[in-house]
Amino acid sequence: MNAELSELASHCIRCGFCLESCPTFLVTGEETESPRGRIYLARGSLEGRLDWRQAAPHLDACLGCRGCETACPSGVQYGQIVELAREEIAARRAAPGLRLLLGMLTRPGVLRRLGALGRRLPGARMPRILGLLFSNEPPVAGLPVAQWSGMLPPLDETLLMPITGQAFILDGCAMGSLFPRVQEASARLLRRVGLAPKRLASGCCGALHAHSGYVAQGAAMARRVLARLPENDVLVATAAGCGSWLKEQAHGKRRVLDLSELLHENGLGEALKKAPGYWAVATYHDACHLAHAQGIRSQPRELITAIPGLTLLPMPESDLCCGSGGISNLTHPSQAVALQTRKLENAQATGASLLIQGNPGCHLWLAPAAKARGLTVLHTAEALEAAFIGLEWFCDGAKQTAEAERT
Amino acid sequence: MLNMEAPRPTEGFFARELGALLAPDRIRVGAAAARAYECDAYTVDRAEPWAIALPESTEEVAVLVRWCVRHGVPFTPRGAGTGLSGGAMAARGGIIVSTKRMTQILEVDLPNRRILAQAGIANKRLSDAVAAAGLHFAPDPSSQTVSTLGGNIAENSGGPHTLKYGVTAQHILGLTLVDPTGEVVHLGGDATGGPGLDFVGLVVGAEGTLGIVTEAWVKLTPLPEAVHTLLASFAEIDQATASVAEIVGSGILPAALEMMDEGIMRAVSQAFRLSYPEGARALLLIECDGAPEASAKEAAEAERICRAHRALAVEIAEDEAARQRLWIARKKGIGAMGRLAPSIVTHDGVIPRSKLPEMLRFVYEVAEQHRLLVANIFHAGDGNLHPCFGFDDRDPEQIRQVVEAGEKILRKCVELGGSLSGEHGVGVEKSELMSLMFSPDDLCLQADAKRIFNEGDLCNPCKVFPSQKGCIEHRARWRGVAW
Ligand SMILES: Cc1cc2nc3c(=O)[nH]c(=O)nc-3n(C[C@H](O)[C@H](O)[C@H](O)COP(=O)(O)OP(=O)(O)OC[C@H]3O[C@@H](n4cnc5c(N)ncnc54)[C@H](O)[C@@H]3O)c2cc1C
Ligand code: SF4
Ligand code: SF4
Repeated sequence: MNAELSELASHCIRCGFCLESCPTFLVTGEETESPRGRIYLARGSLEGRLDWRQAAPHLDACLGCRGCETACPSGVQYGQIVELAREEIAARRAAPGLRLLLGMLTRPGVLRRLGALGRRLPGARMPRILGLLFSNEPPVAGLPVAQWSGMLPPLDETLLMPITGQAFILDGCAMGSLFPRVQEASARLLRRVGLAPKRLASGCCGALHAHSGYVAQGAAMARRVLARLPENDVLVATAAGCGSWLKEQAHGKRRVLDLSELLHENGLGEALKKAPGYWAVATYHDACHLAHAQGIRSQPRELITAIPGLTLLPMPESDLCCGSGGISNLTHPSQAVALQTRKLENAQATGASLLIQGNPGCHLWLAPAAKARGLTVLHTAEALEAAFIGLEWFCDGAKQTAEAERT
Repeated sequence: MLNMEAPRPTEGFFARELGALLAPDRIRVGAAAARAYECDAYTVDRAEPWAIALPESTEEVAVLVRWCVRHGVPFTPRGAGTGLSGGAMAARGGIIVSTKRMTQILEVDLPNRRILAQAGIANKRLSDAVAAAGLHFAPDPSSQTVSTLGGNIAENSGGPHTLKYGVTAQHILGLTLVDPTGEVVHLGGDATGGPGLDFVGLVVGAEGTLGIVTEAWVKLTPLPEAVHTLLASFAEIDQATASVAEIVGSGILPAALEMMDEGIMRAVSQAFRLSYPEGARALLLIECDGAPEASAKEAAEAERICRAHRALAVEIAEDEAARQRLWIARKKGIGAMGRLAPSIVTHDGVIPRSKLPEMLRFVYEVAEQHRLLVANIFHAGDGNLHPCFGFDDRDPEQIRQVVEAGEKILRKCVELGGSLSGEHGVGVEKSELMSLMFSPDDLCLQADAKRIFNEGDLCNPCKVFPSQKGCIEHRARWRGVAW
């Protein structure tokens, strides 16, 4: 018997305090789709009272958002429980579809091509076959659309503080290929706080693999990425999921930080106060792997609030998963749509026109549907850099289209 | 018609029949679902339901109940499943009727300070919905972020602020109930205490045995203008209880008056890295609220009393963050026990306040005899004690120890002139112990009252009253699951 899993699961006292923080429970109302239920089913399978195959669909539907960990008074390490349980399940079932999908979605080259295709085919859906591999529902997630990657206006070095150190930005699989503008903005922000931005073209860090039950493979990929980072240097993640996974895998031996943490620590707040800023009403969505996995809530909010002219409004259920959940929007489409709608309704109810967040999964998943409701989704880095050079560089404005056409 | 002894119908039967009656997505059957719903937060007794229904409206609940009655199938209402006495366990199998797809607020009536909501909504969401208007739903069980309005009504739940604001019963204006025959009845109205028999009062606290509550009008209470919170630590439990007696005797009515023992301090300091004064054996949390000057004055008086009883330290919350910190031991204490032991059972008894030192000594002795980890929370204002035992529920021997220890504790409560249950209900946990408190005649009378409304005992069977027909045999089966 998997002693580690048994020990971790035994700390659940079935108090149910996690229920209202669990997105899948909120949309289904079902105990089997709740953290408490999933832990109980994993335990039951482990103790031979239930077949792992019967527990599998319920563990599969988990978004891995770890909202339950934040709510749990008993300190249950749910993230580890679900990884181990999925490993047990993966060992008992061939899931060629899932492997294929993971392989596809985590290769920068493939992503770039998909992204380019996505830009050309408006309204393009993920290939139908992908959806059908996992559920009987047609896919709802769009093909990822790569951001326009034209240059931002040059930085005037003379106005910036002197360079006192450096930091490596993780390009990973998605950020480098699909979000060049976020990466560019992040680099500029690092420079604005006196850090020379370096890029770590590392390939995928394995976070998605680990969260899907291929823990060993994910860990090996993380080791490869971390090995590329020069010792004593800082690795900056612009993707919440990668940041939390690499932090865990670095075991304190390498310094991994989320962009907002590093910028906050290095005084971007002060620099922002002197920036031109812009008028906007915004709200902030807590990416699960920032808020629940890394406990990062206040840093991005404080930075955003420091933008002159911007009003940040609190959003109800701001730390409830948007449904993207790793690759859940491909494996469990209807659940994902219900959560996407809930998130956007909450955002709209605030009256904001900007929805700021810090994770590529949320970004890709929310942006198209948000646009239909008149909301613009931005990465925290974009919102912050916009305070220095103007929001028009980051919205679907005239400037971009003109630039894009020129290139 | 199926009767109790008839073989259990197949899953397919339920899925087909009920799916056609409501909608297929409202019905769940199968090994995983049955297991997930076999118990609530009381894990010692477990029984798998045959099917789970997730209706979305009063009408659907009524259709379901009528079907159950027609087929002689038992049914058990369930909210969030945070109950601590096995109330939401499908004691005789049958159908779990979950309210967790009935979570809407139907009407907010601010001028009359009331709100109409479906029974499955979490308690805290009611308060959140009206916080901007300076109102809240006053009953605040520690489980309030998740436990449901229906569950609170069924258990007549209280919380730390019960002392001043009362239990759930005082905050329910009216409700819609699907009675055990499947009929929809509207009870009460827009004001409490109308003439005639108080049917609302009968249903509140009935632990789901008199029907399924589907909607309720609840009273909203203004948020206090000012709140003053202090946490005093004492080297002796007697000093803390003496302080409580004097505070209550002095005419102060604190909004909350809560005591925690060493076990809680240990769990909380490990879990949240909080530290308490060296040598502290009891903590007393006092909260005064109301108009700013009055509440400040009360708090100052409470502080003086604690110091007079040689408090080691008295910490006063300067702001909301500090207040939250002082509350941690009370709010997260039981949960934090889960970090020290794989499973916990939280007991719920009432004793005269003056007997607390004696009672606690007894609890510690019992814990030692049975080699169990123990921590205690005490609603000092109303004498409600929650001894909480930690154990490993993967070990059948330890489960046996926990059950025995629990019975000893409850017997002692009754012996000291107290009661079996403060606020967690009787459920299946304590149904057999009811005879400690009531004479056979009393019990028969109460059971008769239940039978009038719940003919055939299909609605949440085997709960509250002992030895109903068939329950004894079933009891062996539930315990058998855990052992
Ligand atoms: C850590 C912890 C702390 C707790 N703290 C407190 C506390 O401070 N004070 C307190 O009083 N309780 C406390 N409880 C106990 C529990 O939370 C309450 O009894 C709560 O009211 C149960 O609500 P629920 O929605 O979880 O109901 P469930 O557990 O699902 O059901 C409880 C009972 O109510 C019945 N029921 C549920 N819904 C309905 C309905 N719609 N109509 C009719 N019957 C229904 C069920 O059949 C069952 O008998 C605590 C529990 C835990 C785990
Ligand atoms: S909050 Fe924690 S201990 Fe309680 S049921 Fe959820 S996972 Fe288990
Ligand atoms: S990780 Fe998220 S989806 Fe999964 S059980 Fe926890 S709260 Fe629910």
